[in-house]
Amino acid sequence: MKREHPEGLLGGGDWYGAPVEAAKQGKGKAMMGVEAGAEDEDVDELLAALGYKVRSSDMADVAQKLEQAEMAMGSGVAASDDAFLSHLAADTVHYNPSDISTWVDNILSELNAPPPPLPSLPLRFDAPSPVDRQNRFLDLPPSVSKQSTSATELPLVTRRTPAEVYELKPVPALPAARAPVRLAYGSDFQLDVAPSPRDSKRIKFCSSPPSSSSSTTDAATSAAPPLPVVVVDTQEVGIRLVHALLACAEAVQQENLKASDTLVKQISVLAASQGGAMRKVAGYFAEAVARRIYRPLPRGVVGCSSFDSVSFDDMLHMHFYESCPYLKFAHFTANQAILEAFAGCRRVHVVDFGMRQGLQWPALLQALALRPGGPPSFRLTGIGPPQPDNSDALQEVGWKLAQLAETICVDFHYRGFVASSLADLEPYMLLGQDTDDRGGADNDEPEAVAVNSVLELHQLLARPGVLEKVLRTVHKVRPRIVTVVEQEANHNRGTFQERFTEALHYYSTMFDSLEGGPGVAAADSAGGRDRAMSEVYLGRQICNVVACEGAERTERHETLDQWRGRMTGAGFESVPIGSNAFKQASMLLALFAGGDGYRVEEKEGCLTLGWHTRPLIAASAWRVAADPLSARGT
Amino acid sequence: MMMLLLPHREEEEEGGAAGRRRFPINDNADLLAEVLGRLDGRSLAVAGCVCRLWSAVGRREAVWEAVCHRHVAVGRAGAAGGTRSVVAALGGYRRLYRLCIGPALDRLAGVRRQGPAVSSSSSAARHVSLSLALSLFSIDCYERLGGVGGRQQQPPASLLFLCKPVDVS
Repeated sequence: MKREHPEGLLGGGDWYGAPVEAAKQGKGKAMMGVEAGAEDEDVDELLAALGYKVRSSDMADVAQKLEQAEMAMGSGVAASDDAFLSHLAADTVHYNPSDISTWVDNILSELNAPPPPLPSLPLRFDAPSPVDRQNRFLDLPPSVSKQSTSATELPLVTRRTPAEVYELKPVPALPAARAPVRLAYGSDFQLDVAPSPRDSKRIKFCSSPPSSSSSTTDAATSAAPPLPVVVVDTQEVGIRLVHALLACAEAVQQENLKASDTLVKQISVLAASQGGAMRKVAGYFAEAVARRIYRPLPRGVVGCSSFDSVSFDDMLHMHFYESCPYLKFAHFTANQAILEAFAGCRRVHVVDFGMRQGLQWPALLQALALRPGGPPSFRLTGIGPPQPDNSDALQEVGWKLAQLAETICVDFHYRGFVASSLADLEPYMLLGQDTDDRGGADNDEPEAVAVNSVLELHQLLARPGVLEKVLRTVHKVRPRIVTVVEQEANHNRGTFQERFTEALHYYSTMFDSLEGGPGVAAADSAGGRDRAMSEVYLGRQICNVVACEGAERTERHETLDQWRGRMTGAGFESVPIGSNAFKQASMLLALFAGGDGYRVEEKEGCLTLGWHTRPLIAASAWRVAADPLSARGT
Repeated sequence: MMMLLLPHREEEEEGGAAGRRRFPINDNADLLAEVLGRLDGRSLAVAGCVCRLWSAVGRREAVWEAVCHRHVAVGRAGAAGGTRSVVAALGGYRRLYRLCIGPALDRLAGVRRQGPAVSSSSSAARHVSLSLALSLFSIDCYERLGGVGGRQQQPPASLLFLCKPVDVS
């Protein structure tokens, strides 16, 4: 009988889905996967043509059982194979092979008892995890890559201390609900799992809960098996790897340096056997934890890297810009918001908090040039960090933009500010320079100001009060619009362990999206180099989030809701980003090789871009809240 | 289709086809331009290999402008003249097609070819808009500008994401 590819029968990514519905939905999913006729007749027609009699209503069950049987038969060490199969062949009595249903039942009863029903699954873990953590793990998207372990599927964290877990003794006995001896099925637990409501076309990741594979040690010790079978599974190693990472974080949190040291070494070993995104993520996290444990004397290395130079950072940023759509999405969305805010203004001024290479502005210049009514008079103030080698990068960028503006006939003025921190800015620096030689006719019309910050504000949270000061400065400038783009993650509040877990989740999703879909470039092409550099870029962030503390830890990402609270507290109100930006973002994403993995979502007027179900970057727009009590203008 | 455009000789006029005038298309470059402007990008590029006249006509900006407009969704009813001058300043319609619109259309066609299994949630975005293409084009143009004193720049790479990955296995 034609056997469906396992993924077709399996459920979706959240394999800790509600156990109650699991069985029902699992069967339903299996039904969809099996190539069965939709007839109401008793016997399936297609199979009848081949000589088998199976009732259509039984198809799902039969398919499941065949899966299980094949798993059990196919997996196993060589030594036990022959004995087992010959036992099946010779000693088992099979009646009526054309009735597949009972035949398979027969086979399965020769194997051990079928896996226990799912409701007992949570019992396998020593202690239930807090509900919210479980819920968070439920939201993990499955990895697109089938080969590598999904980096985003984390098991429920056990509450055993790390030292216990990793003394490598057999897992304590499992609840009696389970059969005393069982074969370790590689991945058939998925059969009973609730399918994800998301796209079925996504390749499903098969994984088994850790204790099912650890049950193999049980098999060896118990009395009456037919055969003990050990399944060595890269997926199992992947689960153990994630387990080890989380346990290591817990150890560090509890200041158990010895355990965390052991774990870091284990993580490196385990990570080496993985492939793809998981290995890289685990590698970066292991390195970061190692740095934290063996911390060199403070006086921080920025981003925990020996390459401290700003130009290296800029170069990594460029590669990140080229290899994935997050920054392009940020730029295009912010530009659209700014463009709409500037409608009808003849003099506009944009302040960019992170000028870098100025890649955001050519598109805005072009859009302003083409807007109905002609281009306005455009002024740009770029703010950047001091360069170590005395080169004036800001001025160069301004010059290039001026060249571009000249070719498309936009009146352009540029000013660069070098500031080691945004807190050094004062309102008078940003306010209109009315002494400019702008021509008398336009002087009486006030400038429309926009403030743009792409991934810059979170760094200000490293020292108390700095963000508030900057937001006050921005408020004093009375901008028409403030565009804020930030990472959508909570890497700033809570304990180290919570931060670590959040970051693991976030960066795993990021790395997954870099690995992308089938169209992504090969490793040795220019696109592959971009990807490699982007991974280094993200790795430095990981290092900063995990290993640094205090003023050194500048990657203090916060969620959109947290930023919303901060902005409204500073006197701004939300400007909804229009549907034009949404459409443009969708179009942009359609062009990326990662295909349909990227998702743009609109959330209370802000746009987020994410990978599958996890938003990774959020763009929002703000304006000064109308304050009827304020009588003065600045 | 192209066979119909090949210049006919006067002697090959069918007997009995009274009143049917034929003329060599190569005698009238503007008409040729009109016809070529209705092709898609790839066919137009191929047409440029036919002869020198076709090559010259096929490089006209007006022809490529027609091709571009035919294949993108023009969102805003902006001043066509304004668009023309901006695009000319950034490098021209032929370059715009080659760098942005062509690869984008190929990418979208590739996605469509993957079949109806592709999720419908983003099906609204299965076309290229002129504004998006121009934004990408302007970024590429900006990257190609030299710095002060002509310092060695990185090769422009902002449009790499549109290129087909080369399988070097």
